[in-house]
Amino acid sequence: MELSFGDFLMSNLTQFWHFTGFYNATWQHFVMLAVGLFFIWLAIKKDFEPMLLVPIGFGILIGNIPFNTHAGLEIGIYEEGSVLNILYNGVSAGWYPPLIFLGIGAMTDFSALIANPKLMLIGAAAQFGIFGAYMVALAIGFEPDQAGAIAIIGGADGPTAIFLSSKLAPNLMGAIAVSAYSYMALVPVIQPPIMRLLTTKNERLIRMKPARAVSQNEKIIFPIVGMMLTCFVVPSGLPLLGMLFFGNLLRECGVTTRLAKTASNALTDIVTILLGMTVGASTQATSFLTPETIFIFFLGFMAFIIASASGVCFVKIFNIFLPKSKKINPLIGNAGVSAVPMSARISNNLGLEYDPSNYLLMHAMGPNVAGVIGSAVAAGVLLGFLA
Amino acid sequence: MKKNIFLLIIALFCCAAVNGQGRSALRINEVMVVNDSNAVDDFGQRHAWIELFNSLHAPMEISSVYITNDPQNPKKYPVPLGDVNTRIPKRQHVIFWADGKPSRGTFHLNFLLEEGKDNWIGVYDANGITLIDSVTVPASLGRGMSYARSVDGAGEWQMRDDEGDNYITPSSNNIIRDQNDKIALFKARDKNGFAMTIMAMSIVFSALLILCLCFLAISKIGESIARRNKMEAHGISVADTDAHAATGHDTGEEIAAIAMALRDHFDAHDQESTILTINKVRRSYSPWSSKIYGMRHLPK
Repeated sequence: MELSFGDFLMSNLTQFWHFTGFYNATWQHFVMLAVGLFFIWLAIKKDFEPMLLVPIGFGILIGNIPFNTHAGLEIGIYEEGSVLNILYNGVSAGWYPPLIFLGIGAMTDFSALIANPKLMLIGAAAQFGIFGAYMVALAIGFEPDQAGAIAIIGGADGPTAIFLSSKLAPNLMGAIAVSAYSYMALVPVIQPPIMRLLTTKNERLIRMKPARAVSQNEKIIFPIVGMMLTCFVVPSGLPLLGMLFFGNLLRECGVTTRLAKTASNALTDIVTILLGMTVGASTQATSFLTPETIFIFFLGFMAFIIASASGVCFVKIFNIFLPKSKKINPLIGNAGVSAVPMSARISNNLGLEYDPSNYLLMHAMGPNVAGVIGSAVAAGVLLGFLA
Repeated sequence: MKKNIFLLIIALFCCAAVNGQGRSALRINEVMVVNDSNAVDDFGQRHAWIELFNSLHAPMEISSVYITNDPQNPKKYPVPLGDVNTRIPKRQHVIFWADGKPSRGTFHLNFLLEEGKDNWIGVYDANGITLIDSVTVPASLGRGMSYARSVDGAGEWQMRDDEGDNYITPSSNNIIRDQNDKIALFKARDKNGFAMTIMAMSIVFSALLILCLCFLAISKIGESIARRNKMEAHGISVADTDAHAATGHDTGEEIAAIAMALRDHFDAHDQESTILTINKVRRSYSPWSSKIYGMRHLPK
């Protein structure tokens, strides 16, 4: 039977209607779109980590446009062969985070750490946030590998969190990444109350000796020795630590300035755009709006609090054993989490609040960059134990 | 010339490293001599079989390696070139049929395994000299039994009769896992995560402590070298420095205060030449840094 022109028109329009987002939308899609818009608003209006939250927020919008998933259009991020799926490979196969680490290495000046190596221990102490959250996650009922992937949020290091969750719990990666980046953006809100709570006024006024000048040779030796020592202890951290120290060597060796510039600018920007957008797009309503996500956000919050508190408390304990002239201001303890340079800036601002001439920024950068190394080592340890 | 030799040595070293990570990881994984009730080949027939395993976490091309049952004739069966199936995916297996009929395809060997006798099987690299792996299947292996490694690519050899946990697993893992053993162990023995926390924090602290100690030592050495160089530049002897140290170091603040006082008292000022010199900086040419190649040629 031949279709009339009107029927032909109607059947095609009906088919088209079934392909539209309006037809396929559910309330979960709208919730996720609202979350995406909220992230963009936070980034633009509140200036919370805009470099991260704008790509993630827009990625959430891209990932949650409803469409007919049975039509085989190859447009969804989880549909093999789609453009988004190809871009997502950097996240799922875990090669974006090491590239970001290359850029971080090329951007980071480790002088403060080299000048005062004992500050590295603060970076190690703050990693207790990861394992504190691991214990809480196990108590809530997560499997050990899932708990490890969630707990790494406490390292305050987005690329590390993505890298580890892609290996240990790929199904939770979207929630873990969004949680990690959200809390990194909220570091200025989360950390100061903890720092105030755990320190006395006298402790906040401690002045630290200016760091000594570090020679070029020491700066060159640091990434080489650092990579070899840490990776010999934790080979599973090689992708992250190797790239971090490689980037730093490019920066410090003095003969690869162009490579260091590319790694720290163009390359990092490109990977950040792709990483943020695809991580955002991976947070699909069906898999994101679950009770597990709420637990992950709760655990991420716990991890940040424990990490900040353990950094501050460690400095207080450390000070007991240090001579009076070498005491450390516990306000730099929070910088042991690796949100570079945000948490170091918070140490500095809080220090200035109590003593307008006490600049702690350079001192806080030591534990801050040690936190980057520490969280990569912790991720390597979790990977080694649980993968 | 020296530079070329150096590059050649590096290239050779790299080639050796690539080879070292390649076929040497090929393993004989399981063997069945008398196949009366097990896997069948593409022709629906049962024969003795030899399972090879790629123990790498990367694909491995096995064409041109040799499989033999005669140590005096290591090049007995060359795995043919040009068959896509000779590329074994990471941690996967292939089966070779010991049916003496190589005309049936790549995976049919030109020799048979003999029942009731020790059967030596060897896999040689493409040079026919380097033995990659070998095994002697004991004569006591019964009908329908296989001789397999306890773990894929490693572990002890054991006889398997397909009873209980003694699976015969042609072209499959020798151990069938339905869970990650590590995670199961943590779940059973470390329910609250204390052990993980203690172990992991110890490792993190150790790694950073080693780094810390290392750089304390490096900074001490660096400081002493810098001090010595400075002294040599100023023509100061160690004895002078010791005498100075006995009187105590002048801090930067003290020196600044003295300088300020002198300036105020004498209204002194350093004599400066006030001559500016601009030297041309010569750089060796490289097209990578050439401005010419960096310029955009606008369309006319």
